[in-house]
Amino acid sequence: MSLQTLRQDWLSNVRNDLLAGLVVALALIPEAIAFSIIAGVDPKVGLYASFSIATIIAFTGGRPGMISAATGAMALLMVSLVKDHGLEYLLAATVLTGVLQVIAGWVRLGALMRFVSRSVVTGFVNALAILIFLAQLPELTNVTWHVYAMTAAGLGIIYGFPYITKAVPSPLVTIVVLTGIAIALDLDIRTVGDMGDLPDSLPMFLIPNIPLTWETLAIIFPYSLTLMVVGLLESLMTATIVDDLTDTKSDKNRECVGQGVANIATGFIGGMAGCAMIGQSIINIKSGGRGRLSSLAAGAFLLLMVVFLGDWVAKIPMAALVAVMIMVSIGTFNWGSIKNLREHPKSSSVVMIATVAVTVATHDLAMGVLTGVLLSGFFFAHKVGQILRVKSQSEDEGRTRTYQVIGQVFFASADRFANAFDYKEVIDKVRIDVSRAHFWDITAVSALDKAVIKFRREGAEVEVIGLNEASATMVDRFGIHDKDGADDMLMGH
Amino acid sequence: MNEDKKVMACVDQSKYAESVADYATWAARRMQAPMELLHVIDRHPRLEAVQDHSGAIGLDAQENLLKRLSDEDETRTRAAREVGRVFLNGLRERAMASGAFVVDVRQRHGELDTTLPELQGGVRLFVLGRRGASAQATQRDLGRNLEWVVRSVNKPVLAVPDEFREPSRVLYAFDGSSVTRQGIQMVAGSPLLRGLPIHLLMAGKPKVQGPKQIEEARTVLEAAGFQVSMEIHLGDPETLIAQAMKSRKCDLLVMGAYSHSPWRSLFVGSKTTDLLRSAAVPTLLLR
Repeated sequence: MSLQTLRQDWLSNVRNDLLAGLVVALALIPEAIAFSIIAGVDPKVGLYASFSIATIIAFTGGRPGMISAATGAMALLMVSLVKDHGLEYLLAATVLTGVLQVIAGWVRLGALMRFVSRSVVTGFVNALAILIFLAQLPELTNVTWHVYAMTAAGLGIIYGFPYITKAVPSPLVTIVVLTGIAIALDLDIRTVGDMGDLPDSLPMFLIPNIPLTWETLAIIFPYSLTLMVVGLLESLMTATIVDDLTDTKSDKNRECVGQGVANIATGFIGGMAGCAMIGQSIINIKSGGRGRLSSLAAGAFLLLMVVFLGDWVAKIPMAALVAVMIMVSIGTFNWGSIKNLREHPKSSSVVMIATVAVTVATHDLAMGVLTGVLLSGFFFAHKVGQILRVKSQSEDEGRTRTYQVIGQVFFASADRFANAFDYKEVIDKVRIDVSRAHFWDITAVSALDKAVIKFRREGAEVEVIGLNEASATMVDRFGIHDKDGADDMLMGH
Repeated sequence: MNEDKKVMACVDQSKYAESVADYATWAARRMQAPMELLHVIDRHPRLEAVQDHSGAIGLDAQENLLKRLSDEDETRTRAAREVGRVFLNGLRERAMASGAFVVDVRQRHGELDTTLPELQGGVRLFVLGRRGASAQATQRDLGRNLEWVVRSVNKPVLAVPDEFREPSRVLYAFDGSSVTRQGIQMVAGSPLLRGLPIHLLMAGKPKVQGPKQIEEARTVLEAAGFQVSMEIHLGDPETLIAQAMKSRKCDLLVMGAYSHSPWRSLFVGSKTTDLLRSAAVPTLLLR
């Protein structure tokens, strides 16, 4: 890393980075509080985490201008761990998540992202938006009409205020106005202070208070594994989005390691695991943030505001946070994808919807993405399996028939391949020309073997010609039709 | 030296452009070398101050932002391309009028310090403004780019001020280092400074080898037909060189450049940068 890269990353955009960091910090506070509530921990856990992750990733991350903090996707995975075992186990799981992410970066697991298709990414983003929205519902059920009025007013300010001026972050205006109204009218509605402890000091180093035993590891490992996968997925997807927006490149493996380091440190200062945030990163880029300084500034401003204005933060009505979170949800959702359902191929729509459905049902983005990736693979195999033609022509006054095979032969098309031959034809010699075909796997090879053996049993002499280099390797290694006793081995039962 | 190698004038749209072109023309004429005017268009210029701090994201925030940013890039690139072409052709005519015999123009996307190393194969001398467009707004004396650019190439660089005055007397800041000793051979063998009187100045801490080395340098230059004077002074090189430039009315400075690591120049400061700052004359930096 050269000195110039350092300057470019940190100092090329100071004014914009600082201002964007401030805007981002103002939106991070409600999110960190909201996600702490989702995870079932005190708001300070999420706030410390957001501070620590945003600050550390500024130095360690591979994508300048991307914002990482405590996220909803991660918070949803921690719910049962916190409920069953408590906060200390969450902190330990956070550290372990970080360790796993560092390892993932070292072994360059980021390369696996190429199997995540565009439809899966869209599904992931939409599922995330839906989950963020659903997480707000507890604040909107069994409450007085005041809360609905406040939330609606909040959304009105968020989207209306930019028409008056864009100099001030409208989420901030929303929070200030709604807090003012709640205090002035002395409304009896829930505030941030009712949700648990806020930070009253700067974060301190502490070691999670857990027994260092195998049982502990057995408890936290499955959580850490899922957290690692989801954290890296969202981070790498967000990095790609920021790459596209800024037309610059990022270092994906450095990002994996960076996320890991940030999570390890966060676990040790009492914060929950986090990752990159799509919504916040978009806000950052939109506000002019490009360099590492923007992330550092966001983290630092967040901590300053929360620690020194803690008494005021406690008075913010939850309705104001809900309004901000609904904005994040709306801004994250890919609305164009609904219109695209009609235009895009059915298979990609199915992949997208399945990703969303599985994620919303399980509250686990890893499951959703796995489903999406498997389905994409399935559809792809199916499509490529269609690329297979078998033509035939009789020669030598009906004594010989030549089959010409064109296309891809593998597990998904092996049946079609085997069924393309007329085994009952009375004929002396069969020639199978596979010079324009590709044999991909042992299923394809054994399908060819079976065809050859079937013809032999009908008394026809078989000749396979034109095996190209790739297919020949496969046949040589796995094929049995040209060895002694082939009939018994394949057709013995 | 290969006669086909050209003098490359790196211009941008600042008040330095004309003087860079003039100095390059001067060098090209003296060396009978072809010359090329290079304009590098930065694809990612420093962001203007962004006015939107609303922080609100609505329907299709990502798509809209992507569209807006790419539209902005497209407009800027197109505009820069057209403006750049007109600008380069203007300079080309100016160079032809003052006697350069082959003048080519070239525009490239990228940044100066990554572009020049890619192009330096066919170049014998780079000519740069001491302050580019990007530095005009800042208070600093030297262009942000200059140090990085000089470091990025291994060909001599002529860093010029914003007004052209044909060099008549040369001050050679000789410190006995291998760069300045090789530089002596280069100057002796090149037509660039031929015929100009050269003053060799060795300043700084006393060196045992100093007198011997400077004497050798003098011999080499005199053998090549130069009129040489020389002196050795103890003291701060920056002040001494500035004084000598003034008292001897030298209008071209030759020195070795950036032999230390970039880290050292960040923390300790760089002698090269200090010297460049104090001398307001064209400076030939030897790599």
